[in-house]
Amino acid sequence: MGEVVVFRKRRGVELVMLIMGMGLAVAGYALVSLNVDGELPGDFYWGVGLYVAIGLAAHVVIRLRAPYADPLLFPLVYTLNGFGLAMIYRLDLGGSKRMHSAELQLTWTAISVAVFIAVLFLLKDHRKLQRFPYLMFLAGMAILMMPLLPVIGFENHGARIWIKLGPYSFQPAELAKIVLTVAFASYLVEKKDVLALAGARFLGIDLPRPRDLGPIIVMWLSSLAVLIFQKDLGTSLLFFGLFVMMLYVATERPSWPILGTLLFLGGAFVGWLTYGHVQTRVSAWLNPFANWDQNYQIIQGQFGMAWGGLFGTGWGLGRPNLTPLAKNDFIAAALGEELGVAGLMAIIVIYGVIVMRGLRTALTAREPFSKLLAAGLSFVFALQVFAIIGGVTRLLPLTGLTTPFVSQGGSSLVANYAMIALLLVVTHRVRRPRTAAEEPQQSLAHDTTQVIAVPSRAAQPRPEPTFGDTPLSADDPLPDQQDAEPTAAIPAPGGADEPTTALPTGTGAGAGAGADEPTTALPTGADPNEPTTALPTRSAPGDDRPLWRQP
Amino acid sequence: MSDLVVLALKLLFLALLWLFVLFVGNVIRTDMFGRKFATNEVGELQPVAELKKQKRRGTRPAKKVPSTLRITRGKQEGLTLPLGEGIKIGRAADCQLVLDDDYVSTRHAQIVRTDNGYVVEDLGSTNGTYVNNERISVSTPFGTADTLRIGRTLMVVEK
Repeated sequence: MGEVVVFRKRRGVELVMLIMGMGLAVAGYALVSLNVDGELPGDFYWGVGLYVAIGLAAHVVIRLRAPYADPLLFPLVYTLNGFGLAMIYRLDLGGSKRMHSAELQLTWTAISVAVFIAVLFLLKDHRKLQRFPYLMFLAGMAILMMPLLPVIGFENHGARIWIKLGPYSFQPAELAKIVLTVAFASYLVEKKDVLALAGARFLGIDLPRPRDLGPIIVMWLSSLAVLIFQKDLGTSLLFFGLFVMMLYVATERPSWPILGTLLFLGGAFVGWLTYGHVQTRVSAWLNPFANWDQNYQIIQGQFGMAWGGLFGTGWGLGRPNLTPLAKNDFIAAALGEELGVAGLMAIIVIYGVIVMRGLRTALTAREPFSKLLAAGLSFVFALQVFAIIGGVTRLLPLTGLTTPFVSQGGSSLVANYAMIALLLVVTHRVRRPRTAAEEPQQSLAHDTTQVIAVPSRAAQPRPEPTFGDTPLSADDPLPDQQDAEPTAAIPAPGGADEPTTALPTGTGAGAGAGADEPTTALPTGADPNEPTTALPTRSAPGDDRPLWRQP
Repeated sequence: MSDLVVLALKLLFLALLWLFVLFVGNVIRTDMFGRKFATNEVGELQPVAELKKQKRRGTRPAKKVPSTLRITRGKQEGLTLPLGEGIKIGRAADCQLVLDDDYVSTRHAQIVRTDNGYVVEDLGSTNGTYVNNERISVSTPFGTADTLRIGRTLMVVEK
């Protein structure tokens, strides 16, 4: 008797956490209304009812489609989404005239959860995505570079990371991060052994071989292109960091992240020397107060968070509207102002837990693709949160990335929900009990397993396989088949002259020479010296493709 | 509302938010090591609760399914092996069925028992897994009427 560890389903836990999280978000919404207007809005119960119904619908689908999925991921992202809705509603109220972006955001939440449900229903096995690494890579790069196109791409607040189709604008980087993560994961599954080969040794670190530097150079140049032409450090950092980190996960060689960091710092330094807009960003980061007009947004964000202090002003009682774009880039500053450091830290901890659950899935996963995919998705999520909250709090130069699940914006919400759905599919498959199938060697040495002595093939006909009606048996050398074609089965010594078309394979000479030999079960191809009558190939005469390559 | 109520609600909200975070931490803690299962003599996993259920219902479902894998072609022709709850096929040492075949990947495929009989899943092999000469990409049912081909080895499932 041994012991094996199996994960529980834990859907009940998920429901409890979801209800708690939704309760917090609804409490935030109610507090905003009470603190600003002194009463609940007329459509309060409608809004709350919709929000709760969407969350419960997604929970039911997880129960049905991915019962072993991680119990924390969905409740946490839905709680963040609720905080985002409450804060957007609060910013709607705070302006000089009432706006309605919270309603729009709730609509986008419904659409995103519909996409989330669709991914859970359509994608039974994430390993299907493994098939086309290069196509996925090209598609991902095309999506990423879309904002550079002349008509649809446009520049907004200094960064060219948007495309506009009719009335809708969209940040393609959000979608590209999923596609490229899948592409990198499937590529690295194939290439990790080669990329792990050590080259020269320098300062105690095995450097990669120079010939293996191609992929990282390609990614470096693309990330520099994003930095220079799209003028966005965050997006550039996101994709290069993602690739370097996945290289590290795949190869387990510390030389890759060291090399990647050096390359990125070098590229960013050259960009800083050469391009004015990079210098503007850096000066806004290091000395925002030197130029009040240019850095108005970041300065207002700083004042807001300072005003909030440790416990914040309370929902609806601060003045986050003074910061331009508080609903998008600076929603973290708005939350920091009204919930204080205590609230913002709790939100960052929630982000951290989402990332941690993803990385834990990667650790639990057994196949390399699931491992790399889970690690890549969680890391790109972590990097995005780090880049935007780091930018708002002036740890890093400010970037135009969205705060996942919290900030206003449909494309970001849809893409992030799709990403969480993909991660849930991975966690479901990873945490599913595998029973004996995945446990170490135990059956072959066991006494219920036995090797049955196979009689000498020359002496006795091969035991007839019980293939039933499978197509393979059609060409088996069954006795009745040989009776039906006596010319093939009992050839004359001059068999080469006989018509041998009845034989399934082999050349005429080979068939004539081999037909009177005992049959063999080995599918040795169309070797004329071998007996070919027992070959189970279904190929046409003269077609010498081996069995295992047939479609 | 009075200032005192506003302050109390603000602090209450933050306290509940952190309580939520603590609950999250507790879920992580209880999830960390999963649940331990005893393995029975055949090496199959049986959670204690399900063992009890099976005793109540009898073990009919297990008897019905043909559960012996037989290699019908290949170097290990004639080898039979009980499928149990499922096996993994490949060349790695942790596979239950280690095939002596040059066209088999390290972890090639696995056969898993489901409620409706056995299914075959490809584990990202190089040369593919074929059921009835069709390359599979998703879980495919594998019954007595089907032939499984991995590399140059053919397998069927029998009673």
